[in-house]
Amino acid sequence: MVDPADTVMNFRRRDARDKLTGRTRFTIDRFPAGLLHGAVLRAGVASGILRKLDVSRAATMPGVRAVVTAGDAPGRIGIGIADHPLFVVDRVRYHGEPLAAIAADTFDQAQAALAAIVFDIAPMPAVLDMEAALAAEAPLVHPDWRSYEVLFAGGARGGNVAWEATAVRGDVDAAFARPDVTIVDSAFRVGRQNHVAFEPRAAIAAFEDGRLHIETSTQVPWTVRNGTARLLGIRASAVRVTVPPVGGGFGLKFDLAIEPFAALLARKSGRPVRLVNSREEEMLTCLFRENAEIRIRSAVTKAGEILGREAVVLMDCGAYGGEQIFLTTMTAHTLGGNYRVGATRLVSRAIYTNTAPNGAFRACNGVYNTFALERHTDEIAAAIGMDPLAFRRRNVLGDGALGATGQIFEGDVLGPMLDRMAELRADAPDLVPGDDGRLYGRATTVGTWFVFVGPSAATVNMNADGSATLVTSGVEIGSGSTMQALPQIVAGVLGIRPDDVVVRSADTDAAGYDVGVGGGRTTVSLGAASLKAATEVRGKLLAVAAAMMDVAPDDLVMRDGRIERPGANRYGYSIAEVAARAQALQGPVAGTGAFTGQGVKAMVGCAAGHFLDAIDIPVFAVHDCDVAVDRETGHVEVLGYRVVQDVGRALNPSAVGGQIQGGVVQGLGYALHEDVTIGSDGCVRQSGFETYRLPLAGDVVPVAISLYEGAPSSGPLGTKGAGEVPILNVGATVACAVANATGLRVQELPLTPPRVLERLLGRKPDLAFPHIAERWADNLLHPHGQSTGSGDGG
Amino acid sequence: MPLALTVNGEVRLSNAGPMTPLLDILREEFQLTGAKPVCREGFCGACMVLRDGRPILSCLTPAGLVEGSDICTIEGLSPGGTLTPLQDALESHDAVQCGMCFPGMVITLTHALRRTHDLTDAEVRQALVGNICRCTGYERIVAAALAIAAAHGPEAARDG
Repeated sequence: MVDPADTVMNFRRRDARDKLTGRTRFTIDRFPAGLLHGAVLRAGVASGILRKLDVSRAATMPGVRAVVTAGDAPGRIGIGIADHPLFVVDRVRYHGEPLAAIAADTFDQAQAALAAIVFDIAPMPAVLDMEAALAAEAPLVHPDWRSYEVLFAGGARGGNVAWEATAVRGDVDAAFARPDVTIVDSAFRVGRQNHVAFEPRAAIAAFEDGRLHIETSTQVPWTVRNGTARLLGIRASAVRVTVPPVGGGFGLKFDLAIEPFAALLARKSGRPVRLVNSREEEMLTCLFRENAEIRIRSAVTKAGEILGREAVVLMDCGAYGGEQIFLTTMTAHTLGGNYRVGATRLVSRAIYTNTAPNGAFRACNGVYNTFALERHTDEIAAAIGMDPLAFRRRNVLGDGALGATGQIFEGDVLGPMLDRMAELRADAPDLVPGDDGRLYGRATTVGTWFVFVGPSAATVNMNADGSATLVTSGVEIGSGSTMQALPQIVAGVLGIRPDDVVVRSADTDAAGYDVGVGGGRTTVSLGAASLKAATEVRGKLLAVAAAMMDVAPDDLVMRDGRIERPGANRYGYSIAEVAARAQALQGPVAGTGAFTGQGVKAMVGCAAGHFLDAIDIPVFAVHDCDVAVDRETGHVEVLGYRVVQDVGRALNPSAVGGQIQGGVVQGLGYALHEDVTIGSDGCVRQSGFETYRLPLAGDVVPVAISLYEGAPSSGPLGTKGAGEVPILNVGATVACAVANATGLRVQELPLTPPRVLERLLGRKPDLAFPHIAERWADNLLHPHGQSTGSGDGG
Repeated sequence: MPLALTVNGEVRLSNAGPMTPLLDILREEFQLTGAKPVCREGFCGACMVLRDGRPILSCLTPAGLVEGSDICTIEGLSPGGTLTPLQDALESHDAVQCGMCFPGMVITLTHALRRTHDLTDAEVRQALVGNICRCTGYERIVAAALAIAAAHGPEAARDG
């Protein structure tokens, strides 16, 4: 067995030098010989009927080699529901929806030809927000939603409700009816967030030997392979996907994107086609973290026991269901996380609107559900007159606590993490409010997220020179998991240096299926598969060495590049010698490994419409910050920030620290100034960096970090994902600190200066959601637990 | 007349029009893809190169305007792949994540360290006002620059 300590080190990433010297070739840096340049024509209305689309003149323009439209790609794709065609077929559902794509010898020729396409769209009434989408007699974004193929059964659907998931445990009505409870009712709203991955979505497609080869900037090579094949009507095995270094993902690239356009153009032209989104396309159609509206009520005793809780979460999925259909699942595991609650009922609804589709973004809806839950928690503490930190200490999940779906949590984790945070705060100098007239405040919050386990495969080939080659579908998106954690694991098992582990970049022809790089799963799922593959290699090498030395394999140790008998004389061989001998005697040594989540149990009947009834590996976080709020301008300055993160085991503490600093800063952007708005034409207003305000070096503070190790995890060597969760409670913590500083009921993110100021000046009333029914059950298409079938909800 | 550009010490010719962004010629004609087109509006700084030693936004600079200037790209800063002290510090601070912003970061900080050898924390952050990073949260980049400023002083700053 491997000693986990052998895998822990601050091993430096091997890709840093090339990235620092400009030598790394991202997908956007690749210009293969003979390539054509692609471009996509997009609709300029939010809703309409496509009456005419004539590409005949465009097809004859100079340099044009291929034009493709809906007729070339008849299929539909989706998560849960196959509702999404590649091109507008007859109905435009969002501003920016693709109408046609062109490949030409130069990019300028492709653009010129786009301008020569003749089309006519008859505008139709649009629903641009969830209130409009849920109004009586609202126009339907998908009038024929009933006819769509259902890819995953169980969610309620109807009209503009793309998907509805419910989680019900215990008797909530009884809890609310008790005479001794205080009922706290809170409402929250958040806007969208743009990933702004610095490398836009980009792909190069070519047909080679009768098969399609797509080189793309993605987190999910297998999703690209399978989805592109589905849209093109070809076998999935006829598609090969390879992935160069990816210039930032953050969830943006966790779905099929522009690859099918490039593939169709390559098929039609017979030439390699390069397609790269412009920054404007990225800003307007990026699969944002969705905007959401949340109502949450709790019944709490004077002593601070949470007897009952109910919530309605509306998630704007945009024009197509996409990731939000899956993410309805995560409401139960985030709003239903953090605290012990007697009885709970939650409904999470993905709502169609005539806006650009939303998608996955680092910790997804966990970020705003944590914001809502933590602000609600502070409102509860205030209502019953209890210190918010004391309330949290009393109620955080501990060993044996039940989640919203009845899953039983293991171990006391959040409680000790709060203690750790107290130590971290004690190390920091006391905050002395200045005499600058600003309002000072602080907050501590807790958060619950998960590792998105799922299938992964790995092969380790042992080379006769003592190095090993690790083959997986893992993608390097910047987080370093494939540069640090994976080679460290393989090296630790084989007793070699991580420098001697070659990591093959993702190629669906070389490695087995993988869910993708995201959801904090790389170190856990790919790591577990890699650990198994390396362990098989280790066993084979030990057997050969044992025969060479005429001893039992158990008598040998593998370390420092050698297999030897423990003892003073270090009798043995180098691993290279053993590998060479094995290769000569039996053929090359290799091992394979596979992994998937084990499926933690939920309580029967609690979850309906969920893709995961329980979470295999929970991940907890405790954040704390200090803020100052300018009364004159509404500007919020973050003065200090602290994180205690549950990492299971940190294989590379330096890498984890880098993820935490970066994730917190992305969260500060979300909390304070990354604002996405949608105009009356249905188009996102922030088309570039001038209008979308990203965090700058001068905005940020160094995050004080404490890694909490030792919590239960089924991950390899006790690991958990560490890259996704740092952003989880940032919005929550900043919001609670601003509420603490100002005494305001903070209900919305981002806390831009105008939004803070209008609350400070009393010019904005509390939120009210006419489209969320007063009675919880009235928000449901079907009563919880009633069979939904597939199509009688609307 | 083709454009004659002096890039990394070599005169190179381009048939592109004089209004063509310098960035596009560097990347697509000269295969110098270190500078990145990220925002193409002059906000992100990922496309920065040195013109006569000063950082410019190559996405907004018409190539015709830099004839007669010395252009130094990220590839020209570390010929043969030898890291400058700044690049070395960025590597040893484990600062790099996706890497898209680093060519521009290195260009800006190289200039800032050459100009002022004893940069303060606030001055480093001020220097980075036109360079955005989406991954790292900046602190290790700032720390690496300060380490150069503190440990090597004027000598290292001159070497960049």
